[in-house]
Order: sequence, then structure tokens, then C-alpha cells
Amino acid sequence: MKYIDWKKYVLALCITVAIFVTAFFLANHFNNARIADVRATENQIAIDLLSNETQYELLSEQSCSDIAEGSVLSDALNSLVSRLSYAEENLGSKNAEVIMLKKQYSLLEIKDYLLMQKVAARCGTRPVSIIYFYSNSGSCANCSREGDVLTYLRETYPLLRVYSFDYDLDLSALKTLINIRNVRGDLPALIVNGTTYYGFKDVGEVEKLILHVEKLKVATSTSEQS
Amino acid sequence: MHFGELGIYAVLFLALYFEVFLFITFLERKPAGKTADRPARFPTVSIIVPCFNEEKTLAATMRSLFALDYPREKLSIVIVDDGSTDGTLKVAESFCGHEQVSIISKKNGGKYTALNLAIERCTSELVGCLDADSLAAPDALLEIVKKFEEDQEVMAVMPSIRVYNPKNPLELMQAVEYTFGIFYKKMFDTLSAISVLPGPLSIYRRSSFETTGMFRHAHNTEDMEMAFRMHAHHLKIANAHTAIAYTHVPRTLRALVKQRTRWSQGFLDNSKDYAYMYFNPRYGYLGLLVLPFALAMFVGSLYITGYLLVHGVRSISIRIIDFWFEGIPLHMPTIRFDWYDIDTNALLFVSCIMLFMTLAGVFLGRRFAGEGVSNKALFFYFLLYGFVAPLWLASAAWGSLRSKGAVWR
Repeated sequence: MKYIDWKKYVLALCITVAIFVTAFFLANHFNNARIADVRATENQIAIDLLSNETQYELLSEQSCSDIAEGSVLSDALNSLVSRLSYAEENLGSKNAEVIMLKKQYSLLEIKDYLLMQKVAARCGTRPVSIIYFYSNSGSCANCSREGDVLTYLRETYPLLRVYSFDYDLDLSALKTLINIRNVRGDLPALIVNGTTYYGFKDVGEVEKLILHVEKLKVATSTSEQS
Repeated sequence: MHFGELGIYAVLFLALYFEVFLFITFLERKPAGKTADRPARFPTVSIIVPCFNEEKTLAATMRSLFALDYPREKLSIVIVDDGSTDGTLKVAESFCGHEQVSIISKKNGGKYTALNLAIERCTSELVGCLDADSLAAPDALLEIVKKFEEDQEVMAVMPSIRVYNPKNPLELMQAVEYTFGIFYKKMFDTLSAISVLPGPLSIYRRSSFETTGMFRHAHNTEDMEMAFRMHAHHLKIANAHTAIAYTHVPRTLRALVKQRTRWSQGFLDNSKDYAYMYFNPRYGYLGLLVLPFALAMFVGSLYITGYLLVHGVRSISIRIIDFWFEGIPLHMPTIRFDWYDIDTNALLFVSCIMLFMTLAGVFLGRRFAGEGVSNKALFFYFLLYGFVAPLWLASAAWGSLRSKGAVWR
């Protein structure tokens, strides 16, 4: 029988296992860094929101033009939503940290929505917004596709504000919003200009629901030129 | 992590384990470099050049043999024309007057019949083969003879093989693969587990054929089967990494896939014939490492390809169908330059380590052979190999399952 160094087999196994453990450790480390990044972004948004509200109070007797309709949140929220969905995809929608971040994100969205409503009422502006309810529980087959449609629209019309909420998220403020708006569980559901629509809507259908889509286009091209 | 992804991790784990094992072997016994020493004795050597339609390359092969740094009276060259239908015989006859050269012309019967006929007529101490599409470096035979002299138990020696003058992307890709192979073969040598004695300049002690018998058809891979048979008789095979042979490689995808299908199918079919060697400690590292891992990598590569293909096609189809129904016009995805967009899962890190080890293997192969491969070749290797290799693996697996023999050309 030929000589076989069994120790070498064990050593190679140990090194390979160590490499794999390191790889998983690194992956975990980067996932944690992602979570920290999302949290930092949320904190920044919370500060910006508070600042916006304060600015709103301070400027209550001055010109509405001093309050930017776009507010500070559109870019930040857009960036945050993609990061959050990545974290959700990688860590799982049941991960406690992800759920906590989603709750904070949902609260920020509600606050931003309310602030914009107040600005609109006082200044007579008509911000174009969509409130979108989805579910990750598996009961909503078309939610992923509706998400694609809204992502596309948000990229096409930067002034369009999309507030997306996980219908199943256990958050009292969100439950209140669902109750006030009387949203049923037939998801996906969209609230556009105060009306609730159920079922999948493609790009053309959603564009028809938005009253000022032409204006948004002009605003988009203007903002792109500037 | 779902079931399919677990399979990917399992394949990568095995591949990494194998690479780690080879690198430990390298660190344990680093191969010595080339020396200016000459053999104490020059045994008689016959080099057989089997040819079948090799009119374009035979002359260069012969010139490389004439240029060998070896006493002329000790070296004879036997050209065997295996029933060529082109001008090979005419080219061979142009060397007729050369005192070292003898020519045999026979009816076509396959490479193994050409080799056997010539071996039967040879009386030299060492007998070797140089494919008519290959060239020997001037000191290659000297380095091989030194290997026989170092260890009297060695019954066959194979050289390091490099690609001759690679130019097009496929040739450049193969240049890197052959360089990587130099490292592999040397480590297999250290482990006494060389599994093939390739056509470009493998040399045997003539007496080894008395033990093993002559070459067989062996699913058109007689060089692999002979190595298996030598292991079956516990005969020692070595690698002279400082001996360089150059070979012409297929220039077209069709020719490459055909050649590699023959090799891969030969491996599968010979594995069936010598299945008793698998996991058998009597055959050392060949039975307990090289053969099982080679087979596992064969299957694993097909699995990864199938997995990526199925997922790729599925996700592209879903995207297209979704786009159709969502009403989103086809557009390039928005690209953001953000670290957040890099998918930093464990697979990425394991793949990076595999990539690093592959590069280290190429670097070491380059050092053993004393010649480099260009960055351009490395680029084409990483660009093409993953797409090209599955073609012949799948073709060989299909051929082997159908028990349909692979063809030479």
C-alpha cells in the first residue's frame, strides 16, 4: 500500500473550513455595516424632518416659496428604500433589526407625508404622491411587479413621491393610517389623490391616475436642465 | 440559503479543499529548479512520431528533434505514418536520408497501433512519443533522462507542456490553462498520482511495456489509460517540470470542443474501466484524492453551469415577461456607484479566494516552466474559460452516458 499522509487531509480540511468561516464572517460583517448604514441614513432623515418641521413653523408667516416643495426627503428616502430592500433580501424579512429599521422608515414616511399635506394646505401646492401598500407574507403575488412599476416611475419622475408600506408591519401609526384610509387586504393597493385602488396597475394605468403627470414631466426636464 | 445554492457551496468547498491540499503539498516539497548538470550516462532513446495528416506541422516537429541536446548516436527517431491522406508521408520521406530517422508507413488504425508497431521494432532503453503537432525544447530530453537517472524506479516521465505561439483568444486561454496544468502536474508528481502521460514527449523505460503490455485503444485516450495501467501495476511515473514540450492547440471553438470532449469522455470511460482505483488506498493519492476530486469537479462544474444557466434564463425570462405586463419600457438599469450595491455574500469571498489560488497556480506554473504568460492571456482565460469548458464537459458526459465514442477529428 502506498504511503498516505492522513494528517495532510485533516490539515487541508481545517484550512478550507477556516476559509469558509472567514468568508461567512466577512459577509456577516458587511451585512452589519449595511444595517448601520441604513440606521445612520434614517437618523439623518429624522434630523432633516425635524429641521423641516421647525423651518415650517418659523416661516409660517412668510412666503410659501421659502419652503421647498420637494423637501429634503425625496432623494434620501429613495436611497433608503433600496438599501432597506437589499437588507431585507439578504437578512430576511423576519430579521428583528430589519423589522425595526422598516418601522422607523415607515414612521419617517408618514411624517414626511403629513408635513407635505400641511405645506400643500397652507401654500396651495399639489404635491404628487402615491401611497403604496404591499405584503411580503406571500399572499401578494403582484406586489413585486407593482414595486418595479413604482420604482420605474420614481426614477422617471423625480418629483413623484412614493410612500411604500408593508401592510403586515406591526406599527400602530401605520395601522391608524390603514384604518383612516380604510385600506383592505387586497394587495397591492395604491392611494392616489385620496382614492384607493386595488390590484396590479401597470405604468400606463398609474400614469393615468396621476393628475399632473404632464406637469411632472416638465418639472423633471426642468430639474434635469438645471 | 436555498437548496440549489447549498450545492454551489458544496462544489466550491470541494474545489477549495483540493487546491488547499495541493498548496500544502507545494509548501512541503518545493520543486527544485533547473541545473546545468548533465546525466552521468546517456541511455539509448527512440522517439516515435505518430502522424495522421500532419503535413503542416511534421517538419517543425522533426527540426525540434534534430536540435535536441543529446548524443546523436544514442537518439533515433521513428516516424509512423498512420495512413495519412494528405502529404504527410512525402514530408516524412524528405527526412529519409537522415541517419537518425526511420520511417514506417501503415494502414490507418489509430494512434495506439502506430505506437505499438514502432515500440515492437525499437530496441532502445527508453522509448517515447512526440505528437507531430508538438515541439521539444532543446534540453527537454536531457532533463527527462536526468529524471530517470535520479530514480531508477521511475518507469515513465512526462514533461511540462506549453502552448506554442498562442495568438488568438482561444489559444491564449489555453496557454493559461496549460501553465496552470504545469503546477498541477508537478504537485501530482509529488503525490505520485500523475494520471496521464500526454503525447508531447512522454518517455517510458522500454521494460515497462513488458509489465503493462502495449497501448490500447482505450476510448481514444491511450495516454491516459497507460498511466492508469501503470498505476495498476504500481509502476512509478514522474514529471520533469524543467523539460518543456510545446504543442499546437486548437484554434477554433469547434476543434477545441472536439479535442476536449475526447479527453473528458476518455477520462469518464477509463474511470469506469478502472473504477476499483477510486477511494482505494492501495493506489495512494491517485485513488484517494486525484481521481475522486477530478470526477467531483467534472460533475460540480456541470452542476454550477446548469444552475447558473437555469437561474439566468429564468430571471431574464421573468424580467422580460414582467416588463411586458408592467408596461415598463426596456431600459438600462440605473447604475449607482455605491458599495451598498456590491453583493457581499459569502459566495463572493470564497470565489475571490478561488480566483487568488488560481492565479497563484498560474504564477507557480510559470515559475516551474521558466516562461510567462501575458496579461492578455490571463484576461482571455478568465473571460472565456467559464463559458467554453462547460461545452466539452456536457458533451463528454452526454457521450459517455450514451456510450458513444468520442472522435479524434
